Amino acid sequence: MPTPSGEQPQRLGVGSGELPRWEEGADLSIVGRAHPRVEGDAKVTGGAQYASDVRLPGQLYARVLRSPYAHARLTGLDTGRAAALPGVHAVLSSANAPEIAWYEDSLLFDRTLRFVGDEVAAVAAESEEIADDALRLIVDAYEPLPFVLDLDTALAPDAPKLRPSGNLNGEPTVYERGDLAAGLRDADVIVEETYVTQAALHNCLEPHGCTAAWDGDRLTLWSSTQSVFDVRQRVAEALGLPEHHVRVIKQHMGGGFGSKQIAWKQDVIAALLAKESGRPVQLMLDREAENLAVGNRNPTRQRVRLGAKRDGTLTAIAVDAAQQIGAHPVGGEGADVPAIYQNLYRCPNVRTEQRLVFTNTGPAVAFRAPGHVEAAFALEQAMDQLARALDLDPLELRRRNYADQDQAEGKPYTLPEALGRCYDLAADAFGWAGYQKPPAAGPKRRGVGLAAHDWAGGGGSPPGYAWVKWNADGSVDVVTGTQDIGTGARTGLTQVAAEELGLPMDRVALHLGDTANGPYAPVSSGSATQSTIGPAIRAAAADAKRQLFEAASEFLEAPPEAMTIRDGKIHVAGEPEDRATPVGDVTAQIAPTMIQGHGERGPNPEDKSVRTVGAQIVEVEVDTETGEVSVCRVVAAHDCGRIINPTLVDSQVIGGVTQGIGFALFEDRVVDAGTGVVLNANLEDYHVPTAADVPPIRNVHLNLPDREANPTGAKGIGEPPLIPTAPAIANAVYDAIGVRIRELPLSRRRVLDALATREAPR
Amino acid sequence: MFPNRFEYRRPGSLAEAVQILAENPDAKLLAGGHSLLPAMKLRLAAPSTLVDLSQIEGLRGIAANGALTIGALATYNQVHDSAAVRQAAPMLADTCGIVGDPQVRVRGTLGGSLAHADPAADLTAVVLALGGEVTVVGSGGERTIAADDLFVDLLTTSLAPEEIITEIRIPDLAGAKMAYEKHEHPASGYAVVGVAAVLAMGDGGTIRSARLAVTGATAKATRLSSAEAVLAGKTVRTETIAAAAAAAADGLEINGDLYASADYRRHLVGVLTRRALERATG
Ligand SMILES: Cc1cc2nc3c(=O)[nH]c(=O)nc-3n(C[C@H](O)[C@H](O)[C@H](O)COP(=O)(O)OP(=O)(O)OC[C@H]3O[C@@H](n4cnc5c(N)ncnc54)[C@H](O)[C@@H]3O)c2cc1C
Repeated sequence: MPTPSGEQPQRLGVGSGELPRWEEGADLSIVGRAHPRVEGDAKVTGGAQYASDVRLPGQLYARVLRSPYAHARLTGLDTGRAAALPGVHAVLSSANAPEIAWYEDSLLFDRTLRFVGDEVAAVAAESEEIADDALRLIVDAYEPLPFVLDLDTALAPDAPKLRPSGNLNGEPTVYERGDLAAGLRDADVIVEETYVTQAALHNCLEPHGCTAAWDGDRLTLWSSTQSVFDVRQRVAEALGLPEHHVRVIKQHMGGGFGSKQIAWKQDVIAALLAKESGRPVQLMLDREAENLAVGNRNPTRQRVRLGAKRDGTLTAIAVDAAQQIGAHPVGGEGADVPAIYQNLYRCPNVRTEQRLVFTNTGPAVAFRAPGHVEAAFALEQAMDQLARALDLDPLELRRRNYADQDQAEGKPYTLPEALGRCYDLAADAFGWAGYQKPPAAGPKRRGVGLAAHDWAGGGGSPPGYAWVKWNADGSVDVVTGTQDIGTGARTGLTQVAAEELGLPMDRVALHLGDTANGPYAPVSSGSATQSTIGPAIRAAAADAKRQLFEAASEFLEAPPEAMTIRDGKIHVAGEPEDRATPVGDVTAQIAPTMIQGHGERGPNPEDKSVRTVGAQIVEVEVDTETGEVSVCRVVAAHDCGRIINPTLVDSQVIGGVTQGIGFALFEDRVVDAGTGVVLNANLEDYHVPTAADVPPIRNVHLNLPDREANPTGAKGIGEPPLIPTAPAIANAVYDAIGVRIRELPLSRRRVLDALATREAPR
Repeated sequence: MFPNRFEYRRPGSLAEAVQILAENPDAKLLAGGHSLLPAMKLRLAAPSTLVDLSQIEGLRGIAANGALTIGALATYNQVHDSAAVRQAAPMLADTCGIVGDPQVRVRGTLGGSLAHADPAADLTAVVLALGGEVTVVGSGGERTIAADDLFVDLLTTSLAPEEIITEIRIPDLAGAKMAYEKHEHPASGYAVVGVAAVLAMGDGGTIRSARLAVTGATAKATRLSSAEAVLAGKTVRTETIAAAAAAAADGLEINGDLYASADYRRHLVGVLTRRALERATG
């Protein structure tokens, strides 16, 4: 084991950079297997504890009063009758809440309200029903202000302003390489189109919320969050507490999709109500609040220009993107729309411009592959249009513009062949080359479409830590501060520990999601949990294993270097198999002395870029009389490096494609133009795809360990599967009916309208 | 999403139920609860008293004897699974299998659906096209209301406040051809537009008479009289069906909403009329 260089501060344990890599073809027995979820039993039996399952003695339930106006000043608030309602224990509003800064330029309870759903007051009562009744007793008065609800009105010269500085969040961000004008001049063919994407709502099955309980001046918060450490930091800051007086716990979660990657107001509101009432307080959002106030995918308008030579070589790529970020800069509202334009295809002349626009609508926040999903819808349709203009197979056009390096960063990819391999796998599995359209039957038309993606995430990064403790019986506890947001991270990470330690899965217990009982791990976002924390756990396990061998050396009379662990037994090189010693014999001998391993995530390669890529091909059927689009089948191929657990990867792909189908065909927050009220902040009008909408989805496994990303070779897969689905569907719809629809969703009405004004196929 | 406070009553007889209704003007009957309870949770309805019909005997039976008699409390599932219904009016059995989702079909009742008169309900149009009628009991005794006279407006029927639907009767339709075509809302499952067609057949493939009804498009389930007029006395041919479909939306006052504009619905009325007629006669 190499020791840290003399320059570095003294450090406990192992950095993952010091580990030998699990190469392609490495002899691994647990990593790579479809192990069932370790928390599966708890989930199907109802034993798994979610934020709303917490029940503490004397617990109260809180509800929030929200602004009925898109833009208003609160001019009066009488909470007297609400406070007097039997069963009500605390009422908070701008009248009595501490002035806590929030959203850069506003307060926890601000008197200027900037969207329908902005927080006005909160009540804690003995039941949700009483709290709900109490909200109805609050008398609130407002001075309505002029508002803007969409990009067009917000960007108009005389538009009402959300902020003194106007409706732009900062200056436009411009990226340029090469000479765009020259690239467009050199082009034989130019595609120039504008695409519009909609506000999609995350609709996590489990809404946002938390339970807050004080013990003296110490706060415990069970929060439905993607980041226990970020919530701790933000809540401690807001309440003026030292961080170690706040403990944030999250054990199980029904989805976050980016919307839970930051601390939201309810974390602090619940804590304040609990303080005020002297009782634990649970504040879970209902579906409506969930769909108003805690994030959405930013609507975009993207003007795209592509230039290409006759042979398909791209000479220019440009996008001018306006993104509607809603009322507040919540953190993570500026989705990276430009990234795909900069990197998915090789092109010397690229210009991207991005403007973030405030509107009086609920705040946007990261949503599974933020920016990339929106951008792929535009770029991948433009590429399809270009292929048809050049009479090239859309897949061939993509191959001719293959990028094997990160052009924005100027670094080669760690796995430059990955996208090409995904193209091959998806095309073969789908039967792309030989595809024959079935003859048109009645009003139904079939078509196929393809889209590719690149994703800035998946690689993970330091810092992130883990501990491994050997118990006296030879089992281990693995402790880390990360979280499993429903993806199955617990299982994948346990597999890494079990593999490195040579233990069966049931001898490894993984503990996570508790700031008080585990070392720092970052937010579970960017598809990075496995690739950030997996290596740290492997390093901690290696450290614990080395120490175990040293301790065993004396008993087994063999040098540590000669030892390995397989299936819970220590084997000494050269000795017969049946002489192997159960690890428990060693740990029991030394108990209560406890061996502890410490691991940390090492750095990423400096001169390479770690990204994830993939491609999807879909077949659709369009009913030309009703406008209904049915997705018949989807084939996906994605690079996520080494596959730690194929079931978990398939689940992410199926879930991502399902969300992609919803984004493509159904999902669309509708805001009333006259009032700013969201008309479908529920699941009765807003359709999230169900099993009945989902066709067979085939995920073809590339399973190519990333040689340089990190020593486990694994990268993330959480977000990417959603990126190419909508453009692949749109391209397939075009293939079916010869009409390009450049606005999402491809609702039945929109498809029918488009058919009515059918343009000549281009 | 919590209802107002209300009183809950569970009478053992129709007479008792009628009396409770008469004494409590803003009481509401509770059958399957799948329309009423969601409305109460949204506080669109706030009855002082709920009168649960579940303990009243004799409201669930299904009997066939040429005509079909179905108790008002029969659930969608019971009607869907009934061999007698399938035999006498297959469209009715089929439709009860596609209403909402499985939970709705386990609890939702035919009587509840007709009494609620949701503009996007399925059974309203189906019973109307079948020429059905309902028997109701109120303080003035029993009377019969034809489906043609039952639906008055959006969520409004000709039932008096203290009247209870006890059964639904479908006339003998031996030899009739029938089908219901629905374009369902992707999220709620309700009919964006639904068209039910029943053709009484004469000799040699002629249509003796036609009853067509639409739901989803208009404030209440409505007969498609223009299409009916096109069909009556004609033989079943592609052109006849096309002509009926083209005429179907004539004279209708069609509503638009968040999901579908009036124009889109008008278009669907034509498409679904054609599809219903094709399937009925195919
Ligand atoms: C998620 C969901 C999806 C749905 N999808 C569909 C769909 O696709 N198609 C569709 O048609 N419907 C749909 N529905 C509505 C469903 O069919 C209702 O169950 C039905 O409309 C009402 O029947 P019920 O027995 O539940 O009546 P209840 O909800 O109990 O009552 C409805 C109304 O009728 C009155 N009433 C009930 N019984 C009687 C009676 N015997 N005499 C007089 N008045 C009475 C009640 O007082 C009340 O005003 C859906 C409902 C839900 C919740």
